[in-house]
Amino acid sequence: MRFSGLIVGLFFCITAVQGQVGKTSRPDTLYGSANEIIVTATRTEKKLGNVAVPVTLISSKQIAQAGSVRLADILQEQTGLFLTAGFGAGVQMQGLNPDYTLILLNGEPLVGRTAGILDLNRITVGNIKQIEIVKGPSSSLYGSEAMAGVINIITTTPKRNELEMSARYGSFNTSDINATYNYSKNKFSYQGFVNNYHTSGFSLRPNSQTSFITPINRFTQQHQLGYQLSDKTKLSGSVRFNRERITNEIAVENNGVIVNSEGKESNDDANISASLSHRFNSSVKTNAKLYATTFTSEQELATSSGAPYTDYFKQRFLRFESQTDFSIFKNIETSIGAGYLLDRANSTRYDKKESTKENAVGYAFFQSEWKPIEKLVIIGGARYDHNALFASAFSPKLALKYTLTNTINFKASVGRGFKAPDFRQLYLNFTNTAAGGYSVFGAIEAQKIINALKGIGQIASVESDFYNLSALQPEFSTGYHASFDYTASKKHTFSVGLFYNNISNLIDSRLVAYRTGGAQIFSYLNVETAFTKGLEFNADYKIGKYYSVTSGYQFLLSGDASELDKIEQGKVFTRDNNGYSKRLSMSDYVGLPNRSKHQLNLKFQYQKEQTFATLRALYRSSWYVTDTDGNGLFNKGDAKATGFVQLNATVGLRIAKKITVQLGCNNLLNYKDPINMPNFFGRSGFIAINYSIKQSTEK
Amino acid sequence: MKKIIYALFAFLFFTACDKDDNTTKVDPVVSVTVTNLPADTIIGITPGVPPSGGMPFGAGKYTFYSLERGVVVPSSDSATNKWDIAFRGTAILTNSGNGGPGAGGAFVFIGLFNDLKTIPSDSTFRTENVPASFAVPFGSNRGWYVYDGLNNLVTPIPGRVLVIRTATGKFAKVEILNYYRGGVTPAASASDNVKMREQRYYTFRYSYQPNGTKVF
Repeated sequence: MRFSGLIVGLFFCITAVQGQVGKTSRPDTLYGSANEIIVTATRTEKKLGNVAVPVTLISSKQIAQAGSVRLADILQEQTGLFLTAGFGAGVQMQGLNPDYTLILLNGEPLVGRTAGILDLNRITVGNIKQIEIVKGPSSSLYGSEAMAGVINIITTTPKRNELEMSARYGSFNTSDINATYNYSKNKFSYQGFVNNYHTSGFSLRPNSQTSFITPINRFTQQHQLGYQLSDKTKLSGSVRFNRERITNEIAVENNGVIVNSEGKESNDDANISASLSHRFNSSVKTNAKLYATTFTSEQELATSSGAPYTDYFKQRFLRFESQTDFSIFKNIETSIGAGYLLDRANSTRYDKKESTKENAVGYAFFQSEWKPIEKLVIIGGARYDHNALFASAFSPKLALKYTLTNTINFKASVGRGFKAPDFRQLYLNFTNTAAGGYSVFGAIEAQKIINALKGIGQIASVESDFYNLSALQPEFSTGYHASFDYTASKKHTFSVGLFYNNISNLIDSRLVAYRTGGAQIFSYLNVETAFTKGLEFNADYKIGKYYSVTSGYQFLLSGDASELDKIEQGKVFTRDNNGYSKRLSMSDYVGLPNRSKHQLNLKFQYQKEQTFATLRALYRSSWYVTDTDGNGLFNKGDAKATGFVQLNATVGLRIAKKITVQLGCNNLLNYKDPINMPNFFGRSGFIAINYSIKQSTEK
Repeated sequence: MKKIIYALFAFLFFTACDKDDNTTKVDPVVSVTVTNLPADTIIGITPGVPPSGGMPFGAGKYTFYSLERGVVVPSSDSATNKWDIAFRGTAILTNSGNGGPGAGGAFVFIGLFNDLKTIPSDSTFRTENVPASFAVPFGSNRGWYVYDGLNNLVTPIPGRVLVIRTATGKFAKVEILNYYRGGVTPAASASDNVKMREQRYYTFRYSYQPNGTKVF
């Protein structure tokens, strides 16, 4: 098929690159199969084809064949997901910002967000079994942050004795080395995993006189233990450490003077979990889990002149949770659970590093799945989160799945999601001495600080929003979804779905006061509303024995109801060709910025045993970036980033019994947009080698 | 210093636009566009680098303008009624209150320049009490402009008309069109040096009603 073309393309690419190798295919089932077992959608093991909410499953095979090394790499190729830049790679789901997607590792939340973003490059995909993506508000099971959806990363578990190693090298001096050791004997199992990632970095950024490089080094290790206490009882534990070091050498020209800065950044994660599960009988099982995680981030910026800048942030998160699944009645499966979590943070970004900010949440949830007739599944559930710091949240969910014919399923769901205000929004105490001396104070601190400043004559005036400052409420979303899945045969599947998310109480920063001298003071308020709605389409098609085509498309509209009201009332203006003001017409409104209306992906794949080739095309249409006309919202005529196509390709083959080799090239067309996508590098290639020894003592 | 500023006035020119349509009054009010009016343009940068230094600065002087005569007024006449409106950076001053000896004042009308045909009789004109409060509120998103800190650009908010009472108590309306030289805002991606060099040049259009009525 496109194989020869691919080879040509790869060749072309490798000349521009230094080459690289990824992990090769692992033993795995066909991806996209309705028989895959997933856990995230219902918190119980379910076949993918049987769940009532929209779920995307990414298998390890798909990850390996795409040549992905970090979580961000594989997520950006999924329908309806966009990567965002700034404070690391975040993911926009159903048009909602990265803040609103919960990221789980084996069901436990990852912490350590900067400005609401959890950097997906912190996570290696080296030992991932599958990634489960649940779209739409899911707080009924997962609580805070699951407003847009949930991404759950499931790591592999040892099933047999095995040693697997892979090494990859590519452009920008990027290397990625993995080693996994699986051991399983009698009642005991162990998996050890290490990953080392290094890149010398790159820079596309404009206005930097000398190109700067950002070398990054990441080291991850994870150890998982399992012990079968009896036929019915299993004890398991996991410990993971992730260490990230980033060096920045920046040269900035200011008025002819070149200022050199050296920045050092370290981000460290640790996760420890222990779980005990017990099956009482065929219809009742329970588990108890204890989970602790810390995230420590330190930044130091030394400038050739001027005082060094340091930043410190540490978050500690502890959670105990228990869940019991039972079915008393034949057609009803129920899960109930409860938990308690303690979230603490210390940071130089708050009043002082030594004072610990703390929030405690107690919660309980239940979910029932009822099958009144063979063709119908109804799921109802709710969760209540009692927050020590602010208002509690109640999150219900209702979903149904109806089998219309053997080949067509209809699914619909409605659910509520919330996100609790984070420590930054509550406690931030930041004054930028460089840029005009503006300050941002968290909602709990703002009134206190401003009143204190007023007492010493440091406040010139307060804005009306100052009087609106109050205890922050959680942000809420209500999501609706309906979809049809069509499975023509094993060779052809097709699904189309509609979604609508209504978001209220959104927290945004607002100007609340002016200092004497004019410096602005900002704080956080629940002020915004928003909606996102759209259509998602996915189709898989197998051609013959070895070829397949996978496609996905998302159409997205977004907006803010209050902005629409203002336009309707004629209170919003823009400028005409002469620069004169004119009223903005409703048809010129484009909704929220940084969102592409169209996203399309097409994947062509060839596979015959251990030999494979993929060609993946990703298209996103233009997105608005800057409110050029200063009217406070986004409309036609404002600055936007151009839509583009990204082409990625890989080929893999077995060269010896235990050795496979993979070649890949990302961004074949070498598309770059340094202004709007400074971290989107040009054409890059890699070569990867995988070596694995398996002992066939299947347990 | 003044000489430098005066030299810059060589760039100054006026263009008379079409008369406001369907005004049946005897004296149709003319709309005038002023371009490249310097407003304390940046003349240097403090020594050192941010945050201790490296900050751009101007001479700290207002540029005074007579809406009645359509000319720049020398700053030696700042204590007279010869000017109506003055510009310094993003600050706009009227000849009123502690800003000048005149009977001026201003308020910001939200709407279109051409839609403001009559100043509502119940309008309140604010006067200067600088630096605490300006008749045209000072600051981003308060009066006539919004400052985009990310891209370091100042943009006049569309749909804002400055309704001015002149030093002699007559009325005028002003729409600020641009804050950069040549009436062209630099690209967001332009360097800070360019943004610094090109800023503080006003382009605005105004209508002045000489007969003392509030009708344009």
